[in-house]
Amino acid sequence: MTMPDTVSGALTLSVIDFVLSFVMIAGIGVVLALFPLLNRLGRIDDTALHDGRH
Amino acid sequence: MRDQILSFLGALFDQTGLAHFWWGNLVMMAIGCVMIYLAIARGYEPLLLIGIGFSCIVANVPGSDLVQPGGLFHYAYEGVALLIVPPLIFFGVGAMTDFSPMIANPRLVVLGAAAHLGIFVSLVGAKLLGFTLAEAGAVGIIGGADGPMAIFVTMKLAPHLLPQISVAAYSYMALMPLIQPPVMKLLTTREERLIRMSQSRHVTRLEKIAFPIVIGLFFPPVAPLITMLMLGNLFREALVAERLARTAANDLMNVIVVILTVAIGSTMTADRFLTLKTIEIIALGLVAFVFGTASGVIGAKIMNLFLREKINPLLGSAGIASVPIAARVSHNVALDEDRENYLIYHAMGPNLAGVFGTAISGGILLALLGVR
Repeated sequence: MTMPDTVSGALTLSVIDFVLSFVMIAGIGVVLALFPLLNRLGRIDDTALHDGRH
Repeated sequence: MRDQILSFLGALFDQTGLAHFWWGNLVMMAIGCVMIYLAIARGYEPLLLIGIGFSCIVANVPGSDLVQPGGLFHYAYEGVALLIVPPLIFFGVGAMTDFSPMIANPRLVVLGAAAHLGIFVSLVGAKLLGFTLAEAGAVGIIGGADGPMAIFVTMKLAPHLLPQISVAAYSYMALMPLIQPPVMKLLTTREERLIRMSQSRHVTRLEKIAFPIVIGLFFPPVAPLITMLMLGNLFREALVAERLARTAANDLMNVIVVILTVAIGSTMTADRFLTLKTIEIIALGLVAFVFGTASGVIGAKIMNLFLREKINPLLGSAGIASVPIAARVSHNVALDEDRENYLIYHAMGPNLAGVFGTAISGGILLALLGVR
């Protein structure tokens, strides 16, 4: 179902889009908040990567 | 004999295109000249305005072969129309972007959504002015302050509005240092502008490499853009493909910028550009930026109601995706109050999040309008 091409359709679309984008961005924020846990897996040495660079 | 000569001269005159020249072409050529002047004499976005201005002039010379099917500018436009150019721009942007400020400050990421209210205010405004819902969506995305995203959404929803929307989007991005500060100062107190942010944590190489891989999983309808952004970023952060990252961030970007600018300028013909809709789109673009700035600042102030460690509300306006201009504006407005309050690193967090915010808003917009 697509939005009706009316002002109320525009308002509905805007509200849904704005709220959903908040939810998805907040989800990204939650994922990023967990990123420090990745450091428990180990550490990557920048020098070693530079030595293998192309 | 005389009639033959006159007929021949008439055909020659017609072939030069001068017979089809009207005052509108002259106006657009003047606009092209103004763009070139602003680029060269005033230093306003020269990488964009020289190409757009020159190709605008060329496009308004009737019968110009470059803009006709088979001409180079026509193929440049096809690169935009077929959505080849915008993903390549994002590829280059990803290769030159450090996402550490965003990774280090996850609580600021939500400002990348808060600052996009302008998209929807402008969308509803466009609908009230008589645009179709698809056109209104394309106009609204100007408020996302993301050129490639605006082009992507416009080509999907309202390709006939590409010249106006792309010119409005890129022009307002360049004018952000003029548009944003009055709104930011109106909505904040001096005490709020003086808030200093604590130093961000260090982001490790592992996190920087994981970021593009993890985030690349999140985005369906606008996947081509964010996916390419993350691919470019992965080349940058992996450190083992530096020549590819350097090429993406420099030479490839330069080529793509040339193609993009001549493509946009070549669509700025008088019959398409000199319409009431153009004025309305330009006005709605300004509305979008003003409301986006305001909603970002207010969003930050609302967050402060729940946070023990307050954030400087000037960071909210950086949630508009224009990287790094909006972040720089937040930094400079803070410096106006306190010469030692450096917000640029923190402001880059919501600024980068705004890119994702625009992509998400655009993707949901396309999905709700049933466009693939």
